Amino acid sequence: MTARRALVSMIAIALVLSLAALPLAAQPTGTLLVGLVAEPVNLDPAQVTDLNSIRVGRRVVETLVAFPDESTQVVPGLAESWTISKDGLQYTFKLRSGVKFHDSTPLNAEAVKFSIERQINTEHPAYKLGKYPFANYFFGNVKAVEVLSPERVAFLLKEPRASFLAILTSSAASIVSPTAVMKSGPDYPSHPVGTGPFRFASWDRGQRVVLEKNSSYWKYPLKIERVIYRPIVEDQARLTELMTGGLDLIVGVPADYVSKLEQSPNVSILKQTGAHVWYLGINNQKKPFDDKRVRQALNYAVNKDAIVRDVLKGTGTLSKGPVLPGTWGADAALRAYPYDPEKAKKLLAEAGYPNGFSTTLWVPESGSGMQAPVAMSTVMQSNLKAVGVNVSLQTMEWGAYLTKLRSKEQDLFALSWMAGTEDPDMVMYPLLHSSQWTPVGPNRALYKNARFDELLQQARLTTDQAKRAQLYKEAQRILVDDAPWVFVDHEIQIAAFTKRVQGFKLHPSFDLRVETISLK
Amino acid sequence: MRSYLARRLLLLVPVLVGVSVVVFLVLHLSPGDPAEIMLGSQATQEDLARLRRELGLTEPLHVQYVHWVAHVARGDLGRSIWMKRPVLDEVLNRYKATLVLTASGLLLSTVGGIILGVASAVRPHSFLDRMSAVTSLFGASMPVFWLGIVLMVVFSLWLGWLPASGMWAPYGEGGLRDLLAHLVLPAVTLAAASLTIIARLTRSTMLEILSQDYIRTARAKGLVEQRVVFRHGLKNALVPIVTVVGVQAGYLLGGAVLTETVFAWPGVGLLMVQGILARDFPLVQGCVLVIALTFVLINLAVDLLYAWLDPRIQYE
Repeated sequence: MTARRALVSMIAIALVLSLAALPLAAQPTGTLLVGLVAEPVNLDPAQVTDLNSIRVGRRVVETLVAFPDESTQVVPGLAESWTISKDGLQYTFKLRSGVKFHDSTPLNAEAVKFSIERQINTEHPAYKLGKYPFANYFFGNVKAVEVLSPERVAFLLKEPRASFLAILTSSAASIVSPTAVMKSGPDYPSHPVGTGPFRFASWDRGQRVVLEKNSSYWKYPLKIERVIYRPIVEDQARLTELMTGGLDLIVGVPADYVSKLEQSPNVSILKQTGAHVWYLGINNQKKPFDDKRVRQALNYAVNKDAIVRDVLKGTGTLSKGPVLPGTWGADAALRAYPYDPEKAKKLLAEAGYPNGFSTTLWVPESGSGMQAPVAMSTVMQSNLKAVGVNVSLQTMEWGAYLTKLRSKEQDLFALSWMAGTEDPDMVMYPLLHSSQWTPVGPNRALYKNARFDELLQQARLTTDQAKRAQLYKEAQRILVDDAPWVFVDHEIQIAAFTKRVQGFKLHPSFDLRVETISLK
Repeated sequence: MRSYLARRLLLLVPVLVGVSVVVFLVLHLSPGDPAEIMLGSQATQEDLARLRRELGLTEPLHVQYVHWVAHVARGDLGRSIWMKRPVLDEVLNRYKATLVLTASGLLLSTVGGIILGVASAVRPHSFLDRMSAVTSLFGASMPVFWLGIVLMVVFSLWLGWLPASGMWAPYGEGGLRDLLAHLVLPAVTLAAASLTIIARLTRSTMLEILSQDYIRTARAKGLVEQRVVFRHGLKNALVPIVTVVGVQAGYLLGGAVLTETVFAWPGVGLLMVQGILARDFPLVQGCVLVIALTFVLINLAVDLLYAWLDPRIQYE
């Protein structure tokens, strides 16, 4: 009996020891580990709808025009130069020569035509291979793409649109390898091929997406060998991985963790205001909100500073309007509504509501760019109560919320917008031009002002940026006075990374540009 | 016996059809559709209408369902609306990870629960018994995600003994040791609640059995105590334990959704949650079918085990 026991224990010890002696995977050099808040969904730039997919997918592909580091001013990308016809209806691009896709096929005008037309031309051989959700939003105004020579390509527009270059920086405007698309067919979103700094290597579902460096990248030689993206949904898990070496870089650090990370000697923090706006939408057509004084009162009543300071804890910066502060279209002289409950009460009384009124506020539980919707709305609810406006919060799941907003029955609603570019046309027109009233477009506040509409339309037809800026500045002044929303904040993106990561910069478009990184 | 098995297997068909109809209806009747969610706040009416048409969402509900069933009958679960990938590949791929996690959780809770239960029953009101009662209360009342995060902070962040998330090392699949190291925290988290339930049940059943006449007889015959407890006691206590273990298996499959989310375990639970949020009907159906099938088969296995444990049980 004792002999058998001894034998059993010896076997058990041997098992444990042999297990401990099993080799672990070695850490390959030059590998950057990036933590994502969710797994990328698909990597076809024309089919993506979520930020995580865009952040990974855009490493593989590029656009004709692009943004430099830390700015959303348009600069040359795959096109080295371009001309715009006098009437603003034709954009002609001269492509960079010698650029090749990762599958060694050349980048040429045919590839540009293919990449755009597969999304908008129902007769195109690649049209049926995917679903292109934003084709109409971005390229609805494109009449045709014409190949002038292998290196010259022209976009013909239905009507002039000054923000067209900004549109061409979007993910959907990425140039893909036609050979690869036709070869992979409907599976292309899992095997993207472009000209970007990294080529797609592998994808272990639910675990990692691996990109390898493009050794013949045209722009500059890369300093890292590969990037591994790991989807980790739980905040604490992502943070723990960063602190224990399982990750080198994370973005979207929760507000509550920022100060803790700032004290850590092994981690650096980077912050930057993104091209985003969070607003409390007001139904401008519904009583009592059809009265400008009521809308202004709401703006005075909400303590935006407290929301930014106490709820967002520094992950947002105060908003004065829809345009990103500090960019060419923003009016620096614009004044934010101060927190002034007395003024709010006075305006409400003037509008005929000395005792306030009751209303509802619709809030999604979460959603892309929504920051902390319920907590932020709760603060606004108590602010409004202080001036006599009784708000009942109705919390909804994101999908249900979007459907409900189409009903036009909303009183107040919490929403945000990520334009991805600083061009005011990409945020003001869809959200506030009267032609975009829901359900046709995203103007869910049902705002309408004839002069404002005219300014926006005029700015679309003007190619000179200085003149456009003047038009947009006037439009913003109208907005502040009309107060169609309560302007709340612009999100500050926060990245945390270990000390081995060098040369990383955040981008206001929310893109995650790991190609500039070197590892110590 | 054989006809019983055949009948039970045939019953699978209506169960799976029922489950798929319910899931189909719930997903389609809840507000928001895949097109709406793909387009998000930037949606224009034109894009929505076009996308809905292309996704086949404009057809009447019953047509959509029949269309789906016709494909499933041919072994084609369709393509995920959201991920653009064949559903069957995706679900089977993730299912392996869920099976590894659930099976480990089940093993841990069953073996641990029985050992703890028997030890408590043999010496009732001892220190061990009291400790086990306290821990059980603790284990059963702790939410899975909270326990998971606490374990992660202690064993990964503070002590650095175990990896915090994932199924394999970040650079790629290591060997068995890599898997086991990653499995410890999620499996313990998942098993905690079930373990305490099984332990308490084992204790009470064993206490009852150990006071039976045949146990006294066995002891009177001069049998070693170990043999009395395990051969004569535990074997007779197993029928109710197996029943609860079967139920717990289903609970663990469901609990895996949370555990997988906390520990970034690449399983079918996490995939299903994302699928629901995206209203990705083919994907959710695929996940639900696989989970329902597993649950039904586990129940069948439990029923068959009864006969083996207690020869008096007969199937007709």
